[in-house]
Amino acid sequence: MPGSNYDRDLTVKEGFVLSKFLVKWEMILVYILLLINLILAVFRTNLYFQHGTIQSIINAGLDVSPMVLGMVFILLLGDIDVSVASQMILGGMITGLMMDHGVPWIIAVICGIIICMICGAFNGFCVAFLKMPAVITTISTSMLFRGIVEIVLGENSLKNFPKWYNKIGWFNVGPFPLSMILFLIMGLIFCFILHRTTFGRKVYIVGNNPICATYSGISVTKVKMQVFILMGFMAGIGSIFFIGRMGGGVSSSMGTGYEMTAIACAVLGGVSTNGGKGKMYGPIIATFIMAFLTYTLGLLGVDPNSKKIFTGVILILTILVSTINKQMIKDFKLRTMYHNNKNIEALHDRTNEQIKELKKQIKSGKGDASKLNAKIAELKKDCAEKSAKLWEDQKADEQRAKERYSTK
Amino acid sequence: MSKILRSRNTGLILVLIILLIAAKILTPGLFSTYMIINTLQNNAIYAILAVGEFVIILTGGIDISIASQLAFVGIICTKLSCDHPTVPGVVFFLLSIVLGALCGALNGFLVGYLHMVPMICTLGTMYIFRGLAFVVSGGEWWFAAKYTQSYRWWAIGKFLTIPMIIWWTVIIMVIVGIFLAYTSAGRRIYAIGTSRESSAVAGIKEPKVTFYAYIICGILAGLAGMLNTSNYAIGYYGMGEGFEMTAIAICVLGGTAITGGKGRMDGVAIGVVIMAVVNSFISMIPGMSVWQKTLQGGIIIIAVAINYFTERSAARQALRERGALI
Repeated sequence: MPGSNYDRDLTVKEGFVLSKFLVKWEMILVYILLLINLILAVFRTNLYFQHGTIQSIINAGLDVSPMVLGMVFILLLGDIDVSVASQMILGGMITGLMMDHGVPWIIAVICGIIICMICGAFNGFCVAFLKMPAVITTISTSMLFRGIVEIVLGENSLKNFPKWYNKIGWFNVGPFPLSMILFLIMGLIFCFILHRTTFGRKVYIVGNNPICATYSGISVTKVKMQVFILMGFMAGIGSIFFIGRMGGGVSSSMGTGYEMTAIACAVLGGVSTNGGKGKMYGPIIATFIMAFLTYTLGLLGVDPNSKKIFTGVILILTILVSTINKQMIKDFKLRTMYHNNKNIEALHDRTNEQIKELKKQIKSGKGDASKLNAKIAELKKDCAEKSAKLWEDQKADEQRAKERYSTK
Repeated sequence: MSKILRSRNTGLILVLIILLIAAKILTPGLFSTYMIINTLQNNAIYAILAVGEFVIILTGGIDISIASQLAFVGIICTKLSCDHPTVPGVVFFLLSIVLGALCGALNGFLVGYLHMVPMICTLGTMYIFRGLAFVVSGGEWWFAAKYTQSYRWWAIGKFLTIPMIIWWTVIIMVIVGIFLAYTSAGRRIYAIGTSRESSAVAGIKEPKVTFYAYIICGILAGLAGMLNTSNYAIGYYGMGEGFEMTAIAICVLGGTAITGGKGRMDGVAIGVVIMAVVNSFISMIPGMSVWQKTLQGGIIIIAVAINYFTERSAARQALRERGALI
């Protein structure tokens, strides 16, 4: 249809710029991962190049991985779910109990996952329909679910799980750990869901602005419900990974703190807890970073409890680094260089833009270079004079205000 | 009269009375003076933590690092007092306040001035303080024999036959209650919790107020840490795990809105008493102790749901009154 509105080219035209690609958050995470590997390779050379070390590090760190994928969706909504570890244990308990009673393993596993999905649906119901704050809901449901496990199991533990559970936690396919292959496949599926489907876009818009989403005809409650059920599903998958890693056993006190690790991985991966910001690739890399970090510190001789300090510091530092953006730098400049005067700031901004324009002209070879340089110098001088005058005015104003109030 | 009926605290007191009647029937031993004092003494730590958490929740934030702060400060006080038995307990009482204020200042700086999300920030500091507690203690445990009398007096010493720890709790509640309700600094905390934008327009410096709110919370957490070791005469780096959840639960139970700006100290006090009754109730019935977590979780969910429904009905009532005026 020539001439109609449908004709417009709507593809995003931002091409591939190498310099921008290299400072992306995901790339920074890759650098951190490489750095950790380098440290390990330098300080523990024998161990690092021994066959099986890296595989066991990855195997050990990936038992939390399925929950990270689900947690990204929850955080993108601007909510939080701290009940995932309890859901995971509850699902594992159901599977174990059914296996104990001689139910075929496939039904038992599916039932475990369904129970987790029901838990997720309960969270989703409270958050989406009753509009309860997600933090408090999931804190209390985490107590609730773990309490149920405590009531049912008491001090006992379940030992009867399918044989292939252990393979997920310990088995290598050639040089690659099985858990890593499974995690990457799941990660690909989740990348597809988040970045290539309408559901993913809906999650973003609900996280960014729920009111706007409502007015665009998106049912916020439905999206939230779906995401929480998805989280429950991933907690169910997580129970398979977790129990496999733990050697096929479940007791009520297992897996405490896993929810915090999952949240930490997602946040480290660049997902904002305010909702609507973040990508799927970051958390996938961050999960590996977390795995390497924990075991690198262990191999370097840091005891497990002091590792907590490093985890906390790194968590806080990464979030701080990711919050340093243009706005913050601008505010800082306004406060320190421009004496809190918006006029001076605006003047500087305008002059900088003009100078940029002129410099571009010089670069392209248009016009006389020396003339343009003179113009730039003139602009700079003008700007400095004007801002000095504005600063004088402000000081005079402040002086006058002070006098007026002191006489009262 | 209708105002009294509609107030949330009336409902809470009714719940408390029902609970007490049930307790009287099921476990008659609950009502001796000794039991009441004992119950209050065991729950005083939760009360102190809940007051600190209450201040934070009023600003619209949340602090899940208080239990780790408790362990950190408690461990330092314990270690120092056991290493130097001649130093009087008052030194450690003051030291815990200073250390707690420092812990709170770290949180407050990160949340207030660097604008981090409270949940994530305190998650990080939770790890840090717990790890520091381990580093300071070196994995050591301290038992009753090592504590000095003057250190233990601050919790179990008796004044008018009531343990000091209960006096401290009451004093803290009264002071913080008056501070929040009647001073301009306290009202500012309510203001930024209600609406950040309008309080900024009104000239309230939000970073500063948040900073001081976290310092108050830190002081109370530090104090709770010293009193906890002093009360139970046991110190190890893992103590108090999960206390932050109980503190949040008490606040929510007492009618504090988790979104900030709503809530009163008397509600928190009633929440403490309800939680204490439920806890001691559960521990006195044989075979019920495994139910504790489930019941606590259920109670919080129901409390939040009730909060939500009362708020919605209040909004509807206001709308109806407005309709009647037109």
